[in-house]
Amino acid sequence: MKSLLKHLSPFAPDQSGAVSALFEFGGLIVICDAGGCTGNICGFDEPRWFTSRGAVFSAGLRDMDAILGRDDRLVAKLKDAMDGSGLAFSAIIGTPVPAIIATDFKALKRMAEKRTGLPAITVATTGTRHYDRGASDAWLELFKTFATEKLENDPGVVGVLGASPLDFPALNAGKLLSSALKDDGWKTVNCYGMGAGLDAVKTASAAARNIVVSPAGLATAKYLQKTFGTPYEVHCPWLPPQVLDALPALAGKKTLVIHQQFAANAVRDAILNLDSASQVAVASWFMMEPEFMHDGDFQIESEEAFVEAIVNGGYDAVVCDSRLRTALPRTQAFNIIDFPHFAVSGRLLDEVK
Amino acid sequence: MNQAYSITAAELAARGRDDIPPELLSSAHLIYSSPATLAFNSPGAQGFGVKRAGLAVPGSVMLLVAPACCGRNTAALGCEASLAERFFYLMQDDTDIVTGRHLARIPEAVKEVCDSCAKRPSAVMICITCVDALLGTDMERVCRKASDYAGVPVVPCYMYALTREGRLPPMVSVRRSVYSLLQPREKVPASVNILGFFSPLRDDSELYTLLNSAGVRTIREISRCADFAEYQAMAEANFNLVLNQEARHAAADLRKRLDIPSIELARLYQTDKIANQYRLLGQAVGAAFDDAPHREQAEKAIADFHGKYGARTFAVGEWLNADPFELSLALIRNGFSVSEIFGTVGGSNFVYVKKIAALSPDTKIYSNLSPSMMFYDGRESDCDTVIGRDAMYYHPGLPGVPWNEEQQPFGYAGVSALFDVLGNALSGKESTR
Repeated sequence: MKSLLKHLSPFAPDQSGAVSALFEFGGLIVICDAGGCTGNICGFDEPRWFTSRGAVFSAGLRDMDAILGRDDRLVAKLKDAMDGSGLAFSAIIGTPVPAIIATDFKALKRMAEKRTGLPAITVATTGTRHYDRGASDAWLELFKTFATEKLENDPGVVGVLGASPLDFPALNAGKLLSSALKDDGWKTVNCYGMGAGLDAVKTASAAARNIVVSPAGLATAKYLQKTFGTPYEVHCPWLPPQVLDALPALAGKKTLVIHQQFAANAVRDAILNLDSASQVAVASWFMMEPEFMHDGDFQIESEEAFVEAIVNGGYDAVVCDSRLRTALPRTQAFNIIDFPHFAVSGRLLDEVK
Repeated sequence: MNQAYSITAAELAARGRDDIPPELLSSAHLIYSSPATLAFNSPGAQGFGVKRAGLAVPGSVMLLVAPACCGRNTAALGCEASLAERFFYLMQDDTDIVTGRHLARIPEAVKEVCDSCAKRPSAVMICITCVDALLGTDMERVCRKASDYAGVPVVPCYMYALTREGRLPPMVSVRRSVYSLLQPREKVPASVNILGFFSPLRDDSELYTLLNSAGVRTIREISRCADFAEYQAMAEANFNLVLNQEARHAAADLRKRLDIPSIELARLYQTDKIANQYRLLGQAVGAAFDDAPHREQAEKAIADFHGKYGARTFAVGEWLNADPFELSLALIRNGFSVSEIFGTVGGSNFVYVKKIAALSPDTKIYSNLSPSMMFYDGRESDCDTVIGRDAMYYHPGLPGVPWNEEQQPFGYAGVSALFDVLGNALSGKESTR
C-alpha cells in the first residue's frame, strides 16, 4: 500500500520546514495547532531549539476554537505575546487543524499586522506535505515581506538560499557553506537562516548572485531574479567530509544517491569528477526539480517503491541516510554510504569543522 | 512582556481558585513549548504520550492513521528498537482528509501490518489525531470492520490534542483504550490490579507488602504483564487500585463492563497523609495495615538528609513523578524552603497552594507554558537545589534530580528514594543530568 510505512517513520513535514526556515530571523512564530505539532517541531525537527531560546509558540487551539474559528482570540494572544518583546515580526504557521477548517491565512495576516503594528507572515502549511514545501513557502513569504528595496549591487556579496539543519546535518552548516564560498572568492556570504538574519534579508537585492543549495530555496531565488534581477545558480558548495572520503571507492561504479536533490547532485558531480564513466543516479523522497534531473533520476513515491528500487536496481552502492537501511530486507547485504539527512532520520553529524 | 510572570503563593491563595490570573491559564495565552515542557505539552511528544501508552497492551502494534506530521516524532521513540518495530503509519494526504477515503483503506492496512510481523500481534491499536476529531470519524466502527477483515482485535486510541482540557483528554482516553480488551472473567478474591501508570511501581514500594499482608496474592500491573494471556487475566481482579486520576475513566469503564470496583489513592510525599491514606484503604478492604516501619524509614531518610545538607531551598518543577504543589508542601512541612514552583494550578491542587501560602507565602509560582517564560532568568532565584526535569532546565548549574524515572515511586518508598537521590546529587555521587 503506497501510503503505508511499515519500517520507516514519517519524514519532516512542511510545518517543520517553515519553522526551520524562519527560526533565526528574530520573529515570534506561532504554530497554529493544539500542541502536538509544536511538540514535534520543537522536540524533534528543530535541533536549534535545545541550544537557543527561540520564540516559537503553540496557538494552543482547543476544539471550540476549531469549531467556531476564533481567529480573533488567536490574534489577541499573539498581540499579548508580542507586546514589549522586542521581536521584529510575527509568523503564523499552518497545521492540519487550520487546513481542515479552511482558515483564511491572508485574513490572519492582515489581522495580525493591524493588531501588532508589525509585519506578519503566514504560511499555509498543512502537515501532509514534506518539509521542503513548507520551507520554500516560508522563505518566499519572508523575502516578499522584507526584501522590498532595490539596492545597488555589491559584487562581493553572495546570498545562500535553502540552507537549514533539515537539509544539511550540521548545526554549523551555515558557517561551513559560507566558508566554502569564501574560499571561492566571495567577500561576504549571507547564508539566510543559518547565520544571516533579517537585516541581510532586507538588503538581499544588493547581492551579486544567489547560490541555491536545496530545492527549497529555488522559488525565492527565482523571485529575487524576477524582482531585482539577481542571478542565481544551483550549487552545493559543501558536503560532509565523511561522505567525500567515501567517494573514491565509488569511482567507476553504479551508484544511487538519495538526499535532497541539490546535495545529491553535488555528490554525483564529485563521483563523476573522479571517473566520468561512473553511473550515478539521484533519487529523492522530496522535491525533484525537473530542470536539474538527469536521465535515470527518479522521485521516490513510497516505502515499497524505495525497497524495489534498491533491491532490483543493481547498484554497487547507495549514498543515503543509513536509517533508510531499516526498510531493506535484512537477509540481503547492501553497500550503504551514510549521508545523514535530518529531515529523514533526525540525525546530525558530530561536530563538523 | 519582557520578564517571566510569577505570583506568590500568598497572592494566588488570596485570589482564590476562581480568580487564577490568566498568565497561569494555558487557554488564555499562546503556549511556550520550551525544552522544559516538551514531555507533557504534547500528547505524543516524549515519555508516555498516547503513542507509547497505546502499546502498553502486551504483543500489540500501533497503526498511526494521520498526516505525516503527527507521526514524525515517533522516530525518536523508535530509537528503542523494540518500540520501532511496533509502529506503523498510514499517512493521510489532502484528498484523504477531504473525502475520508483513507477509512476504507484501514482494514487492508491492518491486515498488511499483521502479515508483515514476524509474530502475529495480539492487537492493533489505531491511533488517530486531531484530523479525525474534526472530521467526526466513527473509529469504533472502522475498527470493528478492520478486526473482522484482519482477524485481530483492533482498538482505537484517540490522540486528540484539541480535547486536552475537555472531558476526555488524550491521556485519559488512552487508559480506557488499553484496558478495553479485557473480557469478563470469574473473579478471584485475592487478585488486585494497579491502574494508572504505563510502567511499574518501584519494586521496593511498600504497597505490594501491605496488600500481601491483607491477603492479596496476585497484584497485576499492565506493564508487568509478560504476555497477552497475563494481561487478559487482569479481568479476574477483585478490585482495581487507581493510583493516577487519569485512570478514573478506565476504572469506571471496568466497573461497568467487568463489574470490578475501584479504590483511588494519590501519590503523596507528606508522610502523615500517606499514613492516613493507608488507614482508609485498610478500612475499605477490611484490613489493618502495619505501615509504621515504612513510615519510620521514610521519615528517617528525610531527617538524615536534613541533618547532612541542612535546610535546602528548592525549585520544584512539574515534569516529575509528583504533584509539584503537594511535593513542595511536603518539603516545606519538613523544614525546607521552596522558592519557586513551576506548575499548572488547577482545581485539584489549589488546596496545596493555600497551605503553602500559610507556611511559605513568598514562594513564587510560575507557569511553564506562559510565553513570558522565554524571559525567565534563573540568576534572580535563591534556590540551591532542584527537583524536576523542567526545573533543571531553568537552573542548569544547580544540583538537582529529574525525578521522572519510568519506574514509578509511590508511598513511603517514594519519599525515601527521593531523599536518597537528592543526597546522591548533593554529594556528587551521581550524575544529576
